[in-house]
Amino acid sequence: MPTYILQRLGMMLLTLWAIVTLTFFLMHAVPGGPFVSERMLAPEIAAALNAKYGLDQPIWVQYLSYLKGVLTLDLGPSFKYPGVSINTMIATGLPVTLQTGLLAVICVVALGIPMGIVAALNRNRWPDTAVMMIATIGVAIPSYVIATVLLYVFALRLGWVPTFGLDDWRGYVLPVFALSGFWVSFVARLTRSSLLETFEQDYMTTARAKGLRPGQILFKHGLRNSLVPVVTVLGPVVANLITGSFVIEQIFALPGIGRQFVLSITNRDYTAIMGITIFYAAALMVMILIVDLLYAVLDPRIKLSGARA
Amino acid sequence: MTDTRIIAPEMWAPLAPEDGAAAVGRPSLTYWQDARRRLWANKPAVVALVFIILLILGAIFGPWFSPYSYADQNLKLANIPPAFETYAVDDGQGGTTRFFLNASNFNLYEVDAQGHVLGLLRGGRKDMIKKIQPYTFGDTTVALDYSALPARLVAADGSTISPSGWSWNRTYLFGTDQLGRDVLVRQLFGARISLTVAFVATLVNFFIGIFYGGLAGYIGGRTDAIMMRIVEIISTIPLTLYVVLLMVVFDSGLYSIIIAIGSVFWVDMARIVRGQILSLKSQDYVAAARTMGAGTRRILTRHLLPNSIGPIIVTLTMLIPSAIFIESFMSFIGLGVTPPLASWGTLTSEAVETMRAYPHQLFFPAAAISLTMFAFNFLGDGLRDALDPRFRK
Repeated sequence: MPTYILQRLGMMLLTLWAIVTLTFFLMHAVPGGPFVSERMLAPEIAAALNAKYGLDQPIWVQYLSYLKGVLTLDLGPSFKYPGVSINTMIATGLPVTLQTGLLAVICVVALGIPMGIVAALNRNRWPDTAVMMIATIGVAIPSYVIATVLLYVFALRLGWVPTFGLDDWRGYVLPVFALSGFWVSFVARLTRSSLLETFEQDYMTTARAKGLRPGQILFKHGLRNSLVPVVTVLGPVVANLITGSFVIEQIFALPGIGRQFVLSITNRDYTAIMGITIFYAAALMVMILIVDLLYAVLDPRIKLSGARA
Repeated sequence: MTDTRIIAPEMWAPLAPEDGAAAVGRPSLTYWQDARRRLWANKPAVVALVFIILLILGAIFGPWFSPYSYADQNLKLANIPPAFETYAVDDGQGGTTRFFLNASNFNLYEVDAQGHVLGLLRGGRKDMIKKIQPYTFGDTTVALDYSALPARLVAADGSTISPSGWSWNRTYLFGTDQLGRDVLVRQLFGARISLTVAFVATLVNFFIGIFYGGLAGYIGGRTDAIMMRIVEIISTIPLTLYVVLLMVVFDSGLYSIIIAIGSVFWVDMARIVRGQILSLKSQDYVAAARTMGAGTRRILTRHLLPNSIGPIIVTLTMLIPSAIFIESFMSFIGLGVTPPLASWGTLTSEAVETMRAYPHQLFFPAAAISLTMFAFNFLGDGLRDALDPRFRK
């Protein structure tokens, strides 16, 4: 286990380095510096700005100093908002993104799995049809469409929830719903098919033959074994919920990192784009690692080793 | 007591042929015949296939039949809905003027009896304080009273005029947007863009994904380890992040989306193909082919890939909607195609701004993207069931 974790951490660092390098050189390949605008700067001012941000140095010096910054968790200053560091930008946006993302994860687990169980237990009867219909809709309709339609119906027409902001709990309802919609459906489908496959297994017949109560059969024998594939997807789910927040935060005007990211793209705030990309990448890799470790704890059959199938 | 283990000899006698016992239960079919039969039996998948074919035909040929182009603006006819309630006013000189009231921008538009939009009606001076604007039709004067919402039309004697009927918009079937552009044509151009992206994603998956995965799986060993490490690095980061990054560098536009999707979209396919090849390459027929002197290229193209075509096709139909989704997502957050070109994503995001007043502008692109996603999902499910031998009935 420790070797495995070390191996994974090494791989993560390698990946992160690749991403830092890629983003750094991509951003520097963009024609025009960060201070090119319609209003021409006096050459002295431009030179002073370049010197202040170290842009007059050769590119490899800039690269090394940026790499050093990343290693010391300092993502540098924003080019568009003077005096604001990328760390501050992330720190202000993170709570919002984390709150909505976490609530969405809870939704996925608390709604998706029970929906799948209900469908599997009532195979080919109306609850199954209903769940599968909802799940198909949830998988097929893009989150931004769901979000706008929800906004139109519940915020504009019915006025039950505010159209923007997170002032009270009602503000969370629509963003969390729109964010988790796809994954609730996905997990419901996965739970259903995995549970149906488990029901065919011999040990389920044995459990029934032993005269166990239905609840015991379902929870102790059926569910435990069928949740393995569901737990596997939770890592990518967390990753996707967090990146999915680009659109949701944009539509519901939530001041999270996703919106900050989109804003810095439209502002061409290169250091912000780089910093947030790297932050995202690191956060996602850590989360996927945690889920993989949990997965091994939950399922004793899984032996952690360096190579993944 | 008789011994039940002894079976009476007459029980061994063959049945008469007319009992049908010897008849084969079903005709022997090749893999593809069987797959096709099962696909045709799956109604949602067939409907989805028909929808996709219609969408492709509509996207290619549809814009040719339209008198408008996606960029033609007509500011006088902006924000016209696809259906409206018509009013008819007698002008006292034997003529009747038909028009409808756009309740959101307080304009009157003249229409003919069939529902063709003829133009904007010019009213008299607006009374800004009372919020009334008079319209004169020959001898008759009608006042548009927008002091209280919804706006209403008032006759000279002070009574409210009620609509005489309703009609579909025959000039602009899906209505117009805030610049007076035809929503239908813009939708069809959006379909073109979505399908172009889908096509590129397919090509990239087919050529790079299959080649890369096939090579990694077949050669194995160190090469495989390195190639898969690269894939792992690429796939650790969500695709959208890459695409965003590349879009920033290449500037937004259709070509950038294509480059962005093309450069990273083959990763999943490479993994699937590698897995397939790994499990297939130890099969006896591969050993047999190698013994008979077949080269790597021949074994890959003639033996290994054809045998993993099922999972490849299924993965492909699952990846196409995600490519379409990424494009519309990028366009939605403002990184996609640039105006005046329209994509379903930009159409939706433009419509969000005006959705309170003109929900029809939101409805059409949202419906188009959702239906397309449904179609590809159903087709993918159907193909998976059809191509997976385990589902054989």
